[in-house]
Amino acid sequence: MRPILLSGHERALTQIKYNRDGDLIFSVSKDQQICVWFAHNGERLGTYHGHVGAIWTVDVDPTSTIIASGSADNTIRLWDIKTGKNLKTWEFPTAVKRVEFNEDGTRLLGVTEKRMGHLGTIVVLDITVDVDAEQNDEKALTIVCDESKATVAGWSYLSKYIIAGHEDGSISQYDGKTGDLIYNIPIHELNMAITDLQWSPDRTYFITASKDKTSKLITAHDLEVLKTYVADTPLNSATITTKKDFVVLGGGQAAMDVTRTSARQGKFEARFYHKIFEDEIGRVRGHFGPLNTVAADPTGKGYASGGEDGYVRVHQFDKGYFDFMYEVERERQNRLG
Amino acid sequence: EDAERVNSADVAVVEDRRRILQEWLAWRESVEADVAEERAELGLPIDPIAELLKAKTAELGPDEEEKIIE
Repeated sequence: MRPILLSGHERALTQIKYNRDGDLIFSVSKDQQICVWFAHNGERLGTYHGHVGAIWTVDVDPTSTIIASGSADNTIRLWDIKTGKNLKTWEFPTAVKRVEFNEDGTRLLGVTEKRMGHLGTIVVLDITVDVDAEQNDEKALTIVCDESKATVAGWSYLSKYIIAGHEDGSISQYDGKTGDLIYNIPIHELNMAITDLQWSPDRTYFITASKDKTSKLITAHDLEVLKTYVADTPLNSATITTKKDFVVLGGGQAAMDVTRTSARQGKFEARFYHKIFEDEIGRVRGHFGPLNTVAADPTGKGYASGGEDGYVRVHQFDKGYFDFMYEVERERQNRLG
Repeated sequence: EDAERVNSADVAVVEDRRRILQEWLAWRESVEADVAEERAELGLPIDPIAELLKAKTAELGPDEEEKIIE
C-alpha cells in the first residue's frame, strides 16, 4: 500500500472529503486553502480562494457540482467545483467548525463555535445545487446548543435527524425538520470532546471519534451503541470503509501534550479495526504528527489521511487488504457461493 | 490435554464470531427493509443520489457529451 503524498498545504490539515465517485479529494487546512486533487495520482486540480481564516471543514454535494466550506473567518462559503468561483457567502458571529450536505444536497448544516456572548449553534441553510442559482440568504433553522456546544454534526438517512456530537462527550438527536431535541445521551467519557462523526453510506449509522481514545458505531434512529473501538491515543477522526467491513481511526497526541516518560515514536498511525468484530487488525505509519482527519473512498478503493504535519497521504488498497477475511466471513462467503 | 484446551478455546472464539456476524447481518437486513419502506411511503427513490445524477446528466445535454477530437 504505497501512499501518494499530497504536499500543497503549508499548515495542519483539518478535514478531507472524497466525492461520491471517489475520483476527487477535497482538503482544507489552517493555511486558509481549499485544495482539490485527483485521487488516483495526487495531481492538484486547483484551489478555491476567498477565505481569510483557518478552514475547519469542507463537504461536497452528492452530484459533485458544488462544495461548501466553513472557516475561522466566520463564514460558510459555497463554491463551483469546476470553475472555482465563490458562489455564495453566509456570515456568522463565530467560526464555523463543521458543514455537511444532506443526502440529496438540498440542505446544508453548519456548526458554529461558542464564544463570549454567543452560544454554539447548528444552522441549516436551504441549497439549490446549481451553479447559476440564486442561493437563499436566510437560515432555514437554528438549533441553539445551550448545554454543551456541538463540535460535529451531520444528517441521517432521509434527512430525518440531525445528529450532533458535543464537547462534553454526549450525542444529540434533533428532528431534521423542526430542530427539536429528541435525545441527548452521554456516549463518550464525560467532558472528552467528540472530534468526528462520519456516516455509513446509507446514513443509518455513524462512527464517532473522541478524545477519550475510543470510537463508537451508533445507530441514527435510536442512538444505540453497536460497537466500540478502543485505541491507545486520543482520536481526532474515524471513517467507515465500504467493500470491506473495516473502520479507520486517526489521532495521536500533539508533541506539547506528551510527557517525556510517555513519549513514544510512531504513534501517528492510521489504525484499522474490523467494524463488526471490533479488533484492531493493522496500522499504517507515515505522518510526522497527529492525524487530524481520515476519509474512506466511497468506492472502497482506498483512504486518505490528513495530518498536523501539513500532509495528505492517499492510499490505494492492495490485494492483501481485499483478501483479508475472518474465518467466519470466509465461511459465509463460501456458503453464498 | 493442553492442545485440546487451546482447541476448544479456539472453537469458542469462532462460534462467538459467527454469532456476532449473524447478529450484524440480521440487524442490517431489518434496517434496510425499514428504510426502504419509509422511502416508499414518502414516494422517494431507494437511491436518491442515482436519481440526482441521472437528472444532472440529462441536463448537460448532447452538446456537452464527450467528443472525440482528431
